[in-house]
Amino acid sequence: MIERTYRQQRLIPEAMEPRAVVVAPVAGEYTMWSATQIPHVLKVMLAVVTGIEEHKLRVIAPDVGGGFGSKLQVTAEEVLALILARRLGRPVKWTESRSEGNVAVHHGRDQLQRIRIATDSDGKLRGLDVDLLADMGAYLMLVTPGVPLLGAFMFNAIYKMDAYRFNCTGVFTTKTPTDAYRGAGRPEATYAIEHIMDDLAAHIGEDPLVVRERNWIRHEEFPYTTIAGLTYDTGNYEAATALAKDLFHYEDLRKEQSERDSAGATTRIGIGVSTYTEMCGLAPSRVLGSLAYAAGGWEHASIRVLPTGKVEVVTGSSAHGQGHETAWSQIVADELGVPFEDVRVLHGDTAIAPKGMDTYGSRSLVVGGTAVVAACQKVRDKARVIAAAMLEVDPNDLEWADGKWSVRGDPDQGKSIADVAFPTFAAHDLPDGVEPSLDSDATFDPENFSYPHGTHLCAVEVDTQTGKVKIRSYVAVDDVGNVVNPLIVDGQVHGGIAQGVAQARYEEAAYDSSGNLVTASLADYLIPSAADLPSFTLARTQTPSTLNPLGVKGVGEAGTIASTPAVVNAIVDALRPFGVSDVPMPCTPERVWRAINEGEAAADFQRPASNGGAQ
Amino acid sequence: MIPASFDYIRPGSLAEASQALAADEDAKVIAGGQSLLPLLRLRFAYPSVLVDVAGLDELRGVRERGTFLEIGALTTHYELTTDPLIAAHAGLVAQAAGMIADPAVRHRGTIGGALSHADPAGDLPAVISALDATLVVTGPGGDREIAPGAFFADYLTTSLAPGEILTSVRVPKLAAGWGYHYEKFHVTAQAWAIVGVAALARRDDGHIAEARIGLTNMGSTPVRAREAEAAATGAPATATAVGEAARLADAGTSPPSDLRAAEDYRRHLAQVLTARALAAAAGVA
Repeated sequence: MIERTYRQQRLIPEAMEPRAVVVAPVAGEYTMWSATQIPHVLKVMLAVVTGIEEHKLRVIAPDVGGGFGSKLQVTAEEVLALILARRLGRPVKWTESRSEGNVAVHHGRDQLQRIRIATDSDGKLRGLDVDLLADMGAYLMLVTPGVPLLGAFMFNAIYKMDAYRFNCTGVFTTKTPTDAYRGAGRPEATYAIEHIMDDLAAHIGEDPLVVRERNWIRHEEFPYTTIAGLTYDTGNYEAATALAKDLFHYEDLRKEQSERDSAGATTRIGIGVSTYTEMCGLAPSRVLGSLAYAAGGWEHASIRVLPTGKVEVVTGSSAHGQGHETAWSQIVADELGVPFEDVRVLHGDTAIAPKGMDTYGSRSLVVGGTAVVAACQKVRDKARVIAAAMLEVDPNDLEWADGKWSVRGDPDQGKSIADVAFPTFAAHDLPDGVEPSLDSDATFDPENFSYPHGTHLCAVEVDTQTGKVKIRSYVAVDDVGNVVNPLIVDGQVHGGIAQGVAQARYEEAAYDSSGNLVTASLADYLIPSAADLPSFTLARTQTPSTLNPLGVKGVGEAGTIASTPAVVNAIVDALRPFGVSDVPMPCTPERVWRAINEGEAAADFQRPASNGGAQ
Repeated sequence: MIPASFDYIRPGSLAEASQALAADEDAKVIAGGQSLLPLLRLRFAYPSVLVDVAGLDELRGVRERGTFLEIGALTTHYELTTDPLIAAHAGLVAQAAGMIADPAVRHRGTIGGALSHADPAGDLPAVISALDATLVVTGPGGDREIAPGAFFADYLTTSLAPGEILTSVRVPKLAAGWGYHYEKFHVTAQAWAIVGVAALARRDDGHIAEARIGLTNMGSTPVRAREAEAAATGAPATATAVGEAARLADAGTSPPSDLRAAEDYRRHLAQVLTARALAAAAGVA
């Protein structure tokens, strides 16, 4: 049995753009522009809270400068701006400064995690017991209590075990409320289990990758229903880990680590492992209901084929920097056989995209993208009927090939979507019963989450005289299923790793004894810049999801979830010869230095042989 | 936040600037604005009037004047890192200036502003202290020269009299045989130093003939590590001797305990970093 208590410090989301809202009243109707992730949910909540009729409200989320969950919220300022505009009959604008936002925007994390594992003597997991103390802040906001509860599904991670208990106590404090912050419940869980897996490896004197392999779900065991009740559809932890080890030069680094330990070097090397998974593609509506989230988890898409063959896609997934315009255009171009440039993506305005559940929880591609595919298929099906009439053949004699409906056995005889568009508009010769439009609507409610996974390896150099840590190399192998746009995926992983590293090393919302936030400015709340981060080595393995037609799993939170334990595990690994088994986050130089000073070094410390591991 | 309201004037001459400052004790000089503007926005400072000296060309440029360099107060940190005279005769200034904040700040912030702001966590105050530079100020009472030890009076406080403006810094040219190094310890690249050590050493025949050590953020003003300097002077140029001298680096200092570091950690860092900076300056492997 190993028992640990880890602390998830309180974090402040730092989107590039602070919050801002404008409300314009015109003739008893109200248009709100808000820097929000959730224009649709916001509109409904505004109607419920203010009594203004929903059909007289329009919410526009223009180009929003990031959110990371902090704008997955309905805020008092938005409601007040609307009420003031109604009372005054004049436009009202409200903006916040960075330091105001740091005080008022909901915070993230803030848990004490008591975690116990029971294992066989060879490190085979038997049971897991998790007891959380979660700081809700002064009052509940949109998803406050649901965030730590998401962890209930995730502490068991990729591992098999016989028994699992999860308990969470939420407490009110005088601090800013906590709520969703990139990863929301899953980074916390992943940190605790991945940290204690490294502790287990150290405890039994084995390589942490060997211990993980002994416990993880083997690739041939998928689909696998976990002890927490989720069914993981696909995955291959062996493949991702083998590739990561190779890119990382794992054995060489272990050798150098041992040499430095033996020489008593001032600068030591630590290697941190994180074989994470996550539940993404939020979410089956009934699961959200069980977490007390007011809205559903479905997503909506519409396709409108214009008379000249251009295509408008309306998505309810409201992007705020994720590149939906690009990815959705790629999907539609593939599904309808139209040029990428001929697709326009419309979103973020409830008058233009009236239905949607917005963007959070790595859900856009998995849920929203699936709705786009379904809408495309409806358009294609209708185009088949019209194309058949134009070609004077039976629809069943047509097959979809090379982006058009072609006569089976006579591929030169075919009609593309563009060919069908104008005759549909003119409607002169449509078959009986066919409406003159080439439009569609589709709504998709997932029945399961999606389960990206991967292996992140981090090597740090720790200056034992000062406690200074330098990340020497970082390898991220992620399996996010099929990839629509590799550049967007890489960008998400880069930013995610940066934010996870930030939790591991830099960020902490601190209050003084009077309850004042003392980290309200970015001079006091340290966030890393590119100058503080290494070049990441990224690679991918691909086991397509079987849960959606695109085979995608989502990537928005993967880097954040994976990287925090990889970095902290690396720092602790470097310090194990000094008798250190944890450094509380953020692992500042001072904390690292104190951990070294307070550790009780074992004279006979030896690293485990590292000749094994997943291959 | 939005700053409290203030007046703004842009004087056409140094004399005009000095008059404006003398006329209103709540007036404040603004140059690059990299320290003052955040204070205004956070409402930690409420000046009645900002006297913008950015148009005073006589405060610009680096000139060679016999045994010293005269660095105009409006010289930006970026210019400090690229100026050939500074590279040739005061490389320590260039090295430290290159570590200040980020490129955007370095292109706007000035040496005069950084020194007049007198933040003990700033890098340049300790550097010019170690260099035994002289600060040249002008005001209603005429020009005067002030040593760093007298200029830096307290936290964010200088001995500038009402109406006085820092016009230049006179940095003695480093003679042959001198080495230098600035060791900055900070958590992120853009953050202030938890502790910084500016070390200069003249090596002579296997010994350290002279040593000068300035400390960043080890008190309410930049301070010289006089005891460590004395211990290093005449010591053999070996790692052991440098390390022994460096153990005295925090003697006589009063480092703060704050969000970033506790006092005992700062004292420890001062010793470790002094050993490293002095070793680098003296060419000790």
